[in-house]
Amino acid sequence: MVSISDIRKARELLAGHVLRTPTVASPALSRLAGADVYLKLENQQVTGSFKTRGSFVRMAALSDAERKAGVIAASAGNHAQGVGYHAEKMGIPATIYMPANTPFTKVARTEALGASVILEGETVAESRIIAEQVADDAGKVFIHPYDDPHVIAGQGTATLELLEDVPDLDVIIVPIGGGGLASGCCLAAHAHNADMEIVGVQADAYPSMNQAFRNEPPHGKGATIADGIAVKEPGVLTTEILKQHMADVEIVREADIERAVQIFVDVQRLIVEGSGAVPLAMLMADPDRFRDRKVGLIVSGGNIDSRLLSSVLMRGLVREGRLAKLRISLIDMPGALAAVAGIIGNRGGNIVDVLHQRMFRDVPVKEADVDIAIETIDSNHVREIMEALEAKGFGTRLLSDTSLD
Amino acid sequence: MDSSPASDLPVFADIEDAAKRLKGWARLTPLLENPILNDQLGFRLVVKPECLQRTGSFKFRGAYNKISRIPEAARAGGVVAFSSGNHAQGVAAASTLMGMASTIIMPKDAPKAKIDNTRALGGTVVLYDRLTENREEIGERLKTEKGATLVKPYDDPMIIAGQGTIGLEIAQQSNEMGFKPDVVIVPAGGGGLVSGTALAISGTIGCPVYSAEPSTYDDTKRSLEAGSRQSVPIDSVSICDALLAPTPGVLTFALNQRLLAGGLSVTDEEALQAMKTALLSLKIVVEPGGAVALAAALTQKLDLEGKTVVVVCSGGNADPEMLARALAS
Repeated sequence: MVSISDIRKARELLAGHVLRTPTVASPALSRLAGADVYLKLENQQVTGSFKTRGSFVRMAALSDAERKAGVIAASAGNHAQGVGYHAEKMGIPATIYMPANTPFTKVARTEALGASVILEGETVAESRIIAEQVADDAGKVFIHPYDDPHVIAGQGTATLELLEDVPDLDVIIVPIGGGGLASGCCLAAHAHNADMEIVGVQADAYPSMNQAFRNEPPHGKGATIADGIAVKEPGVLTTEILKQHMADVEIVREADIERAVQIFVDVQRLIVEGSGAVPLAMLMADPDRFRDRKVGLIVSGGNIDSRLLSSVLMRGLVREGRLAKLRISLIDMPGALAAVAGIIGNRGGNIVDVLHQRMFRDVPVKEADVDIAIETIDSNHVREIMEALEAKGFGTRLLSDTSLD
Repeated sequence: MDSSPASDLPVFADIEDAAKRLKGWARLTPLLENPILNDQLGFRLVVKPECLQRTGSFKFRGAYNKISRIPEAARAGGVVAFSSGNHAQGVAAASTLMGMASTIIMPKDAPKAKIDNTRALGGTVVLYDRLTENREEIGERLKTEKGATLVKPYDDPMIIAGQGTIGLEIAQQSNEMGFKPDVVIVPAGGGGLVSGTALAISGTIGCPVYSAEPSTYDDTKRSLEAGSRQSVPIDSVSICDALLAPTPGVLTFALNQRLLAGGLSVTDEEALQAMKTALLSLKIVVEPGGAVALAAALTQKLDLEGKTVVVVCSGGNADPEMLARALAS
């Protein structure tokens, strides 16, 4: 098992090798959530996530022979970065297995750190089976992403630092994927204050630890913005530790996670990846539970793809009624489109995109649809523009998921 | 109006005093860096992220330092400020904390988000029409009718001293982290932030401090080179909406002339690229104007090889559209 003294030793070991990340108070999120909110910024960690802590501690424990032989890991994300970064610094050859369909940018980022990348397997789980087999055959150490005492001790140091900054927290909310970060968090926090509540949270697409608590078989599938915690099977060791320290594992909805990423950008001016935003999603989903309490959120990472980030931001505008897409039917005669543009312009809408569908729409030949994306002030403004169009005889339908309530 | 500002200029002790006043009210923003980015750059880049400050920009510091000094007798009159952006939010937040009313005069066409934020922070927003109304007249009326105190955006010694606490923090935090900055670069609009920071650095680390501006609003750079206050053409445009003061302030320029090592400027495109680096490598949201010092460092407007440079990222109040534009740059 892992003890608090292992975490303290890990802390000494890590000094100078990873960043001592800041904790910031967040008046803005506090106001929003009705609680006293503090953020442990592991998105500021080297390689952009807490993973670098555990991987360093694990590799620091290798014998000279093991270092020489090299290490193997399986991950397309933060664990790959953590292992790759330290292996290079420590002069240990590292081979990282990633699924065959891994985006080029993720491969390139890991290779840039000095690791060799091998694309094999359909999923990370398959890549891991292959990697473990190769490690076994070649006599190399497989660096597990979470189910390892060294890794858990390393991840626990993040909570140690958080409690050094804010010793009197009532609650810590921590994301759970395989459970390494959360296990370390529980051990560090309960050694500090046995009454502190630790709330572990998963994404609803991958509720594997929640299921383990119910002795249900794990099942998780599909795409999630919280790819860092999209783990199909929780660790054995981590499950055992978490069961001793928390009564249950919470689940948040995908839409709430996306919204939390957006809130971090809008309100806190921080870039947080989906899995790192899960604690905020939890806080916002159940504010009564945390009202007026001193809450620490472990913001576990900030590695979000730039295109994904862009679409979260733009979808946020749609949600707020600041970007709307209208489908307008017009009689296919000269000047109809100009008239529509005039009505929208007069009402203060800003047209950002027009798609004219004359050829392929399933509409009478003398009618045509035009899809127009407009920037608007809010949902009232959208409604006002739609009414103006209808009043002039242009049938108008809202295409985006803008809510007009 | 340029007559002898020397007696009005803040001194180092004013900044130390401001720091005491701000303690517990302003956030102590951390110093951030990314070792992997440092390796790529060939110099050590340390960021002071004021986007994480209360109200999303450094403006709260000066506003609180100024407003908290308003004498008891004048408090009932409240404060008034003109701004469509970060100063509005700083003033609204600071006066609410002091239990004072604030009236912020904003143009009718200001972004709704900024109007909403200012209201949410407790400010009473008075909208005016840029074409038909004069905001100074509205301000004067409020001053006489209510006895309100005007809070200027930069040309006020207590505003400058408040912003200067950033320089003091850079000195203290770098010392705690065990390094000494070789250069500090700070964004400049009216010049309050850079002059205050330079004043603090001159009394602590003593390293060179540079201003950074949009290339189309490089009035501080031009003024430093000319030796007197210069203006940029009135029709100049830039995406850096927080830095569109056409002429340096009287007090701020008097300080900057004495304290700055020089002025740097960057294009809008360079500012966008710096925003992208901030988003993806430093994991912080920086608005275009807040990113100019970072941009000056990333594009090496100075020879920084092997050095340690601290840049102030002064604010993060950018619209999602602008962030998406930066990500696509």
